[in-house]
Amino acid sequence: MELLLQTFLNGVLMAGVYALVATGLALSLGVVGIVNFAHGEFLMLGAYLSYLLFAFCGVDPLLSLGLAFLAAFLVGGLTYRGLIRPVLRAPELNQMLLTFGLSVFLQNLALLLFGADTRVVAPPYQAATLALGPFFLGAVPLGAFLLSLALLLALHAFLTRAPLGLAMRAVAQNRLASGLLGIEAEGVYLLTFGLSAALAGVAGVMLSVMLYASPTVGFLFTLKSFAIVALAGLGNLKGVLPAALVLALAEALVSTYVPGGGGLVEAVFFLVLFLALVGRAWRGA
Amino acid sequence: MRKGLGLLVLLAGLAWAQTSLKVGVILPLSGASAVAGKAALNGIQLAAEEANAGGKVRLELVVVDDGTDPSKAVPAFTKLMTVDKVDIVIGGLASGVTFALSGPVKQYGPLFLVIGAASSVVEQAFEGYPLFFHYHPWDYHNVAAALQFFQYLNREQGAKKVAILYEDGPFGSAGIGVYKQQLEKLGYQVQAEPYKTGSGQFTPILTRFRAFQPDILYWIGYDVDALPIAAQTRQVGLRPKLIYGAPPSWPIGFEKNPLSQDVAGMTAWLPTLSNLESRRFVEAYRKKYGEVTEEYMAPMGYVIVKSLALAAERAGSPDKNRIAEALAGLRLNTPFGPLSFKPSDTGKTRYQGFGPEIWFQFQYIQGTRRPVFPKEKASVPLRYPGEYYLR
Amino acid sequence: MRGVFAFLLLFALLPFLPLGVWRAFLLDVGLFVLLFTALALSWDLVARTGQLSLAHGAFFGLGAYGTGLLLPHVGTLPALALGALLAGLGALLLGSVTLRLHGLYFAIASLAFSEVLRTLALKLPFTGGPIGLPVPPPFGGGLPLAGYYLAFAVLALAVALSLWAEKSPFRLAQAACRQSEAVARVLGVRVVRVKLLSLFLGSLVAGLSGGVYAMKALFLSPYEAFSLARAVEALVIPIFGGLYTTLGPLLGGVVLVGLEQALRLWIQEGYLVVYGALLVLAILFLPKGLLGLLGGRRG
Repeated sequence: MELLLQTFLNGVLMAGVYALVATGLALSLGVVGIVNFAHGEFLMLGAYLSYLLFAFCGVDPLLSLGLAFLAAFLVGGLTYRGLIRPVLRAPELNQMLLTFGLSVFLQNLALLLFGADTRVVAPPYQAATLALGPFFLGAVPLGAFLLSLALLLALHAFLTRAPLGLAMRAVAQNRLASGLLGIEAEGVYLLTFGLSAALAGVAGVMLSVMLYASPTVGFLFTLKSFAIVALAGLGNLKGVLPAALVLALAEALVSTYVPGGGGLVEAVFFLVLFLALVGRAWRGA
Repeated sequence: MRKGLGLLVLLAGLAWAQTSLKVGVILPLSGASAVAGKAALNGIQLAAEEANAGGKVRLELVVVDDGTDPSKAVPAFTKLMTVDKVDIVIGGLASGVTFALSGPVKQYGPLFLVIGAASSVVEQAFEGYPLFFHYHPWDYHNVAAALQFFQYLNREQGAKKVAILYEDGPFGSAGIGVYKQQLEKLGYQVQAEPYKTGSGQFTPILTRFRAFQPDILYWIGYDVDALPIAAQTRQVGLRPKLIYGAPPSWPIGFEKNPLSQDVAGMTAWLPTLSNLESRRFVEAYRKKYGEVTEEYMAPMGYVIVKSLALAAERAGSPDKNRIAEALAGLRLNTPFGPLSFKPSDTGKTRYQGFGPEIWFQFQYIQGTRRPVFPKEKASVPLRYPGEYYLR
Repeated sequence: MRGVFAFLLLFALLPFLPLGVWRAFLLDVGLFVLLFTALALSWDLVARTGQLSLAHGAFFGLGAYGTGLLLPHVGTLPALALGALLAGLGALLLGSVTLRLHGLYFAIASLAFSEVLRTLALKLPFTGGPIGLPVPPPFGGGLPLAGYYLAFAVLALAVALSLWAEKSPFRLAQAACRQSEAVARVLGVRVVRVKLLSLFLGSLVAGLSGGVYAMKALFLSPYEAFSLARAVEALVIPIFGGLYTTLGPLLGGVVLVGLEQALRLWIQEGYLVVYGALLVLAILFLPKGLLGLLGGRRG
């Protein structure tokens, strides 16, 4: 029973970061309508920023969080202006190839600049642990989970209360009608894409503390994010957190209870996804 | 005009006195093994420069990237053979790629000096090929070296239980069956769990290990896993007496991280080694590149070119068979210790350079890696149990 | 059409052209160009029904492993055929449960399928697992051009299928599925059947391409044979060359695979930065792919 609860906790904590990365992806997909294969590279940007600031200026990653948000927002905005806007009306496949090319470009640029080496930061709280009775919670995963949750709540509030947020949802639902209402889609797209990148940038800083910075750190998370977004339903922001929970819990349960389960985690993740999608197909989505 | 001709004759004479060699180098400069590949290339270029400065041989390197991918490696190798027309090739770092090269190597028949490719599957692929010189130890040598350490931990330190985390790719899984069996033979209780490298999710597996209460947490994976394992071991409240890792390389900056304290591992070389050849190498490397490398593939590449230059000098000819003959009889002091070629333990290939003796165990101690085992190589005593246990 | 045949002719005669010292190198590059182009064409064949497959890496891997495992027992050609059939079975399995999914949903489902198969290749007892599987060369290694012409045959088959699909009424059925399934149904197109057949044919070609690859690489590992990179390459080439055509993927394959080899040899460090930048620029300035440059029409 104790092990079960601990496993549950492990899964829930992991779901936070998954949800944060996936929400960014869902935003650009739902509002701008772009399948962004380079989403993970914004995450990588955050991770390297955190590493560089820590290694050369001694800046605590906690402080890098805000900076990474801004930097990734800026890069996201520039990406939108320079690359995404020209292909907004192009076929979906062209958009995908563009973001894929961008991903290859950024990943290898990082490789050229920093090498393929894995880099790590060392803030004092990195392995800090909270022991609640028989349960153990890593302080960093817990912090990352809470921050992710807070960001997602803030985003939710923004989308349901703020005029700009409402505009974003309006555009997401119907491009044409929102235009008729006088909402300027252009500015909304720019903001959304920037925000999407910014969320990934913040997640990147968290991952630099929990894992590492390397040119490929974003890749695995992009893959899982796509899975989560698909499970939630494309563009369905509210569904992202539950979907992330389902997948993270499935992973945690398998790797705790199935002998040799650590090697099956990926397979289970995708099997759950596969079955969910097949289920959706037969319900007639 | 006549003067010019005279000069030409003179130059030709000089070139004649030197043995001039064109050497192909095929390494992963992109793809999964790029870190090791670039380190190796640095070592190779350094040694080539030194050899050329010596004046007795002249090495011209033709470098190609194998991309850590057979579909890129095979054409690149063919280009070395047919366009650049080299007779001698240094390369073969990643096992899978080296396997793919076994076809074209047998077809074109160069002298093949292999820097890595530890998997014994590769040994089978090159069985009977006469010009195959394998410098790196085979995987069974690696196992033997690690087991020696575990035997010591069992006999002298009373370690009884090992929990193994191994990545589920070829690197982590290749020897796992043998490892388990051998450790049990030594008297250990073993629990082994696979994981996906780079995912950073060890909490569930480590939580499970908690009930097992291992003395040693042993992970076979990559540099990306080092920090997450060190951090999450503490976060789940697991208290092994030793965290022991065997990745091909370690993360940059890991030594500065307090979590690395007392983490142990196995390597063939450290820049802090005190033998003369190693110190010479480190100094020359720093002079050329302005930094010190931690990758043992750098001195490995260096050793290969050093031995090749020496063999070419002794052979006095650029002929690959005569160089191979000279190489086979060579004895050379290297940063790893003495090098000479013997038939491999399985008898499948004839020229095996290094064996289990080059491996040693180190521990991260206050920001540097220090050799701790075997005794003749240790610079400080092993800290057992480590700091993560004593908390 | 003439362009397509010129391409095939060029590749058929490549071993006999006076290429000098570059001959062996170009034949090696050519072999991989043929294989990856065939894979790309097989992806395009599926894409014409509006299905974005990320499972082509898996079909490639199934073909490669099927061929590799059977080759020592049944000989080269039967092993290739059976390997392709294995890929085809995989496609039927995937297709029968997912072809009702659209666009990105199908893409993600096919990605998931491919990840699960990779894990199977890692865990099954007879695949060599993570250590990998050695594969003998075709026909016992006696014929130096065997690999090249097998690859050529795979591409020729892919081209034949693609041309058939382009010239027959099947083209209309495919296009109808792509543009609007509802309309297609009204027009009497059996949507699921058309999609399933396209996926099946595509997977056969992908499987053959994997099988020939295995015999050239001589060694398979799950991470490499079932790699997502392969699936992505299969979709990059047609988009780059020109979608829903036969000539487009051919052009794209020769240019991209050739370009990558060339960039790697001559730029070396960081060549993929240039490669990525070229992809981005191509989309920005050549929205119809390379075919757009030639003023080709889109099917």
